[in-house]
Amino acid sequence: MTPWNPGEDVIAVQRGPEPGGAGGAYRSFGETLRGLKTTFARVIEGTNTIQYPEEKVPVYPRFRGRHKLHRFEDTGLEKCVGCSLCAAACPSDCIRVVASENDPENRVSAGERYAAVYEINLSRCIFCGYCEIACPFDAITMGHDYEMSDYNRSDLIFTKEMLLAEPIDRTPLRNEGE
Amino acid sequence: MDPVSKVSDYRKLEESVTLSTVEGPLGASGSDGASTELFTLNMGPHHPATHGVLRLLVTLEGEVVRDLKPIIGYLHTGIEKTAETKSYWKVIPVIERMDYLAYFFNSMAYCGAVETLLEVEVPKRAQYLRVIHMELNRIMSHLVWLGTAALDLGAMSMFWYCFRERETILDLFEQSTGQRMHTRYFQIGGVIEDIPVGFAAKLKYLTDEMPRRITQYEALLTKNEIVLQRLRNVGVVDEKTLLGLGVTGPLLRATGNPWDLRKAAPYCSYDDFDFKIPVGTVGDNYDRYRVRTAEMRESVKIIEQAMEGLPEGPHITEDRKIALPPRHELATSMEALIHHFKLVTEGFRVPAGEAYHPIESPRGELGCFVRSDGSSKPARVHMRDPSFVNLQSLSTMVEGSYIADLIATLAMLDPIIGGVDR
Ligand code: SF4
Ligand code: SF4
Repeated sequence: MTPWNPGEDVIAVQRGPEPGGAGGAYRSFGETLRGLKTTFARVIEGTNTIQYPEEKVPVYPRFRGRHKLHRFEDTGLEKCVGCSLCAAACPSDCIRVVASENDPENRVSAGERYAAVYEINLSRCIFCGYCEIACPFDAITMGHDYEMSDYNRSDLIFTKEMLLAEPIDRTPLRNEGE
Repeated sequence: MDPVSKVSDYRKLEESVTLSTVEGPLGASGSDGASTELFTLNMGPHHPATHGVLRLLVTLEGEVVRDLKPIIGYLHTGIEKTAETKSYWKVIPVIERMDYLAYFFNSMAYCGAVETLLEVEVPKRAQYLRVIHMELNRIMSHLVWLGTAALDLGAMSMFWYCFRERETILDLFEQSTGQRMHTRYFQIGGVIEDIPVGFAAKLKYLTDEMPRRITQYEALLTKNEIVLQRLRNVGVVDEKTLLGLGVTGPLLRATGNPWDLRKAAPYCSYDDFDFKIPVGTVGDNYDRYRVRTAEMRESVKIIEQAMEGLPEGPHITEDRKIALPPRHELATSMEALIHHFKLVTEGFRVPAGEAYHPIESPRGELGCFVRSDGSSKPARVHMRDPSFVNLQSLSTMVEGSYIADLIATLAMLDPIIGGVDR
């Protein structure tokens, strides 16, 4: 019947006893006690739950949370030049970039152009991080915050100012290799 | 009967469901009045025991199930169609969301199909990293199954134990891929990043811990009289019927047929590893339980071997036409920047053709069919999802059994509705 023979690589699992009868009467007590022993032995292992939101789960360095836009530390200029590569890479089409020319007197970004409008619709975002991979200037990265719920869908559209600002509540971060 | 009127019959049947009994709707037999009274009941779509948004139209005779029709589509998200409008690399995060407990498998089936079309060589290290993540995913998926199935039988503590171990695995995923679920870690040609420092140590901790934990689960369940009564000799289907329905995975292996694609048609270096295929004998719910727990042990072995023999080398193909250039090259090399722009905006083109890539997911044969018309977007993406095929066997399993056994059998069938409806 089987056209393919796996040879030695098969192990048959045990069937276990037939339920009921005298063995069943024994198991109702014996095996239940054995089960209870297993359960009670776990008590000494301590608790695994944590008291969220007082205590927060620290995230790993690679964790992809809420996005952040960045500025150059020395000049304070925005890194984003409005090239829209992130918008092109986004699988759920939730980034909107409108670029405009920099005024040489009053520069916003380091490049020729800057993002006049930069919006991410976080209610559509799937946190894939493709925007971070796509950006050639490291202007957008995925931050570490995972607390983003809100009462209004419209409040989940993050504007450039919100993305540039530091998040109010910092999420604890684990060290590399911890 | 033409299909249209069949559907409307169902509609009529649904509308006629009241609190009183329905008389003989689906060809009931029996001469005495009482036994011909059948009762049609909707189980779901919002029912905790249906493991998702599945609706079962059950026809009962007293407590005995006489007929069962799964009604699906409540979780339809049109992912296959969405995939046609996206370039190849952007399909990956979307397609991972089909079977939400087997996301690494979804992307593996898809990447495998596209890699076949592109004829690209995947580096050995990437293949091993894929195996590690897929086997972790298999354990994780089986843990969710074990926890929820035991919960359906009334064993509450199993659920907490299983989810505790699942948490450890999800932590590992977060550490290596950046996300706990839907990680988009597998990319066409390899994996997107190498594993971080400290991953190996945590993985070692898990693989040492896991066999001990599985022994603890088995101490609670395997010989428990309630579990035996509820599972043994319940939902028996023979091998031939299952093969006729196209059922694969642990359900088929529980009947004694050792069909496992990891051995039968090795992909992704699975032939490098030494592991066994657990098979059952009778094909009842108890065998399904034993086969899956034994599979978890085998997965642990595969992970240990893969981590041991993890070869050095690149984690993604060096072909710049397919894989993004490394980030540090962007600042220095104009060529890398051009490739980067091209890949991000348009993506790569795939030669016209068709490919089907089947792999062994936790639920059976998961295959991805990709048809390319030579452009940078797939012309068609189709998933052969094992949950969808396996769900068909539910009515053969439960006809003639009690409605309480229907719950147990559905739990042991382990359908993931996200995969069924796609
Ligand atoms: S994380 Fe993904 S979905 Fe979210 S904005 Fe970036 S590219 Fe779009
Ligand atoms: S964030 Fe980066 S990719 Fe997006 S528009 Fe700005 S510079 Fe371009």
